[in-house]
Amino acid sequence: MSPDLIYGLAGLAVFGIGFFRALTLAAPLRRVLALKLCAVGASFLLIVAAYRQPPVTADAVPHALVITGIVVMVSAMAVALALIHRIAVLERERSDG
Amino acid sequence: MADLAGIDWAVAAVLLPLIGAMACFAVPRAAATIGLAAVAVTGAAALALGLQVAAEGALTVPLGGWGAPLGIDLRADGLSVVMLVMTAGVGLLVSLSALGERDARRRRYFWPLWLLLLTGLNGVYLSGDLFNLYVMIEVISIAAIGLTVLRGNLAALKAGLEYLFASMVGAILFLLAVGLVYLNYGRLDLSGLAGIAGAGDAVLAAVLALTLVGMALKTALFPLHYWLPAAHAGATAPASALLSALVVKASLYIVLRLFQYLVAPSEVMVTLIGALGATAMLWGGIQALRAPRLKLLVAWSTVAQVGLIFVAFARAGADGTAESWKAAALIMLAHALAKAAMFLAAGRIKDEVGHDEIARLDRSPIRPTLAQFTFALAAISLIGLPPTAGFAGKWMLMEGAIAAGYWHWVVVTLVGTLLSVAVFSRVLAGFLRFDRVRGPLGEHQGWALADAPPLVLALGALGLGLIAVQVLAFLEIGAPLGGTTGVWP
Amino acid sequence: MDAMLVFDVALALALVGLAWAVLAAEDLFAAVVLFIVFGLMTALAWVRLAAPDVALAEAAIGAGVTGALLLATLRRIGGAESAETTPRPVLIGVGALAAAVTSGLGAAFLAAPAQGPGLEAAIAANLAASGVEHPVTAVLLNYRAYDTLMEVVVLFAAVVAVWSVAQAPEPATPLLGPLHAGFARVALPAAVVVGAYLLWAGATMPGGAFQGGAVLGAVAILALLARDYVPAPAHRAWARGAFLAGTAVFALVAAGVGFGPRMAFEYPPALAKPLILLIEAVVTLSIAATLAALFFGREPEPLGVEVEARK
Repeated sequence: MSPDLIYGLAGLAVFGIGFFRALTLAAPLRRVLALKLCAVGASFLLIVAAYRQPPVTADAVPHALVITGIVVMVSAMAVALALIHRIAVLERERSDG
Repeated sequence: MADLAGIDWAVAAVLLPLIGAMACFAVPRAAATIGLAAVAVTGAAALALGLQVAAEGALTVPLGGWGAPLGIDLRADGLSVVMLVMTAGVGLLVSLSALGERDARRRRYFWPLWLLLLTGLNGVYLSGDLFNLYVMIEVISIAAIGLTVLRGNLAALKAGLEYLFASMVGAILFLLAVGLVYLNYGRLDLSGLAGIAGAGDAVLAAVLALTLVGMALKTALFPLHYWLPAAHAGATAPASALLSALVVKASLYIVLRLFQYLVAPSEVMVTLIGALGATAMLWGGIQALRAPRLKLLVAWSTVAQVGLIFVAFARAGADGTAESWKAAALIMLAHALAKAAMFLAAGRIKDEVGHDEIARLDRSPIRPTLAQFTFALAAISLIGLPPTAGFAGKWMLMEGAIAAGYWHWVVVTLVGTLLSVAVFSRVLAGFLRFDRVRGPLGEHQGWALADAPPLVLALGALGLGLIAVQVLAFLEIGAPLGGTTGVWP
Repeated sequence: MDAMLVFDVALALALVGLAWAVLAAEDLFAAVVLFIVFGLMTALAWVRLAAPDVALAEAAIGAGVTGALLLATLRRIGGAESAETTPRPVLIGVGALAAAVTSGLGAAFLAAPAQGPGLEAAIAANLAASGVEHPVTAVLLNYRAYDTLMEVVVLFAAVVAVWSVAQAPEPATPLLGPLHAGFARVALPAAVVVGAYLLWAGATMPGGAFQGGAVLGAVAILALLARDYVPAPAHRAWARGAFLAGTAVFALVAAGVGFGPRMAFEYPPALAKPLILLIEAVVTLSIAATLAALFFGREPEPLGVEVEARK
């Protein structure tokens, strides 16, 4: 059992949990969390694809891709959170009067 | 590739709208002027690229001079150029109709979002790299969600959030596919993958399934269409036009490209795609028949038309996707023009009449005749009557399916066509009935300059049918989808 | 076989357990805190997989900034949730679907060649010509600079979208108590130094624009929390400039070098290093400003009295 195998399977399990919860949770904030976990799980595949048994150094291309993926994900999450916030504000206004 | 004063048109087609978006955001007061200019210049770059491709054939731009697989290549062939020019043309006319927006906040944000969307769309059509496609669809999705919620009311925000979630799931599935591809082949350039991907590869099956489901979510193929009607019906008219005409096309395009570069789909997969497309066509038609509001009806018609495009991709011809993709591409073009025209016309009707409840349209004393005429023209193209582009696409689909002996697919398409006739008759009948109007009629014809862009788009859908042969010949430049290497079992 | 194997298995199990716990937590606040722990554990796993750059980015952005965003939203909307629960048949159906998808992916993953082909040889062969010594930086800012430009564009699109959505004024209470505000004041200069160092280090070792930008963004978030800085409508022009600078410099350099015999993004060899450092420096500042703006969550519009809320 090498670390790439162990973490690759763990990453897929994290993806599976996130995927399941993203489709079943009702609260939007929890769905955002679930999707982020999905994305982290998917990133594990790329990190594992880059892994080489030491002393060989890892492949830098997947690393760069995952960094890009992390930034893309935080952008999408920020938009989702802004929408969630605005929806909450409007719903509060509506129920207040 | 340095050409004409050293300008690389492929790079220009991506960077010009980006620079425009930045300028619009930096100087909000001049956003409309800058935005319109940027869309026009981008369109010029797309045309210049088209001339270059017509003269020299498909071209590749190795960004940074590295070349794939280390660097990223841009690639422009007939299909990419047609998509670029279509996007620019539709985009320019929708931009013109967006000039009439009076709300200050919407004015300020429409232009940067739309230009960022244009950056992403052009980026997808020129991309030659799997991960680059992922980044580009994220540019598209964030800009598209911004446009979806621009109206700012609760319904639009909720629809936008649902759209964002669907879009994020789609992107994550695509990212998984990227991971699997790199794990197996150690490269992401599409042209390189075309050579390696072997027939009967189990990994490739997983990759195709992931990308197909991911893109089906983003393009709203039945049964993953649930987010589309509310999102497209709830946006402002120009935003709806952009979302329905242009945004769904990017993910459809990616599906075409992946089947080109990775492997031709197997018989099972083609049948599945066709079956989903057929269901979408019928379900979208039925829902459009039941829709109480005009914009919702138009949005459901997009679900049906996406289905039609998948049916065409699956079944227009005996040679599989190497032949049928052209019918699909032609229907994509026709739908882009007609749907943009239709959403803009629906927006104009709603503006003039004051509501868009279909059942009450025939009671309105105000008849925005030009917008209604535009709506009817667009409907003719979406139904597929000659000589429209919609007809040309459907004809190719039927001819191919008949030649290949797929009779039941012909029947399905005909049923879908009848449904769309019924759907649009619901609306057109309301335009033509005058006996239920109380009060004087015809005082106000509701013409405005804003009726011009949708009318031009609808006439474009009509005219495109007349030059369909030339468009098809252009699509073949660089032989997209001709060079698939294997067939997945 | 050895201690490392035990560590790897334990960490992998902890990751899966944490992922489940994040989504099963009763309380949303607890869920977010567990999520931040999950992010840090992920970073640890990626260090084990010889990906220190990604680990830094995940810890700083994936756990840190994202966690701050989540906590800020939680505070703004309050913890109240609808009592809506998913019906059991749906849970079972979706569960079966997720299990099928995951096991299919697992099968595809196990069928893939272990430590298969990659681009490390091509990277090493061209590293000297890239202008930087650190492979990940070479990929991000040279070989695949186009992707990175578009990634900054995504961030820019996000801030435009967020500004277009949000209009509600903040509740007027201070976000940090005096003790924390004092801590923030001490921590700010130190964090600025760390951020700048990460940026500078990126040319030769793990670190770079995104990690440095995230740390500087965290600085700005702290400043916002401590109300050392209160965005005012008058600052909007500066803010726009700060968001745009990175994308603008990056795009203009990329296009500018393309005039003449070279391709777009093809830096002249002699200028490669200074150009990359210039792009990185400006992009770092833009990322910091953008992340802070995403945290602040709205355009500072002249709407309410909120601006004067500082005690």
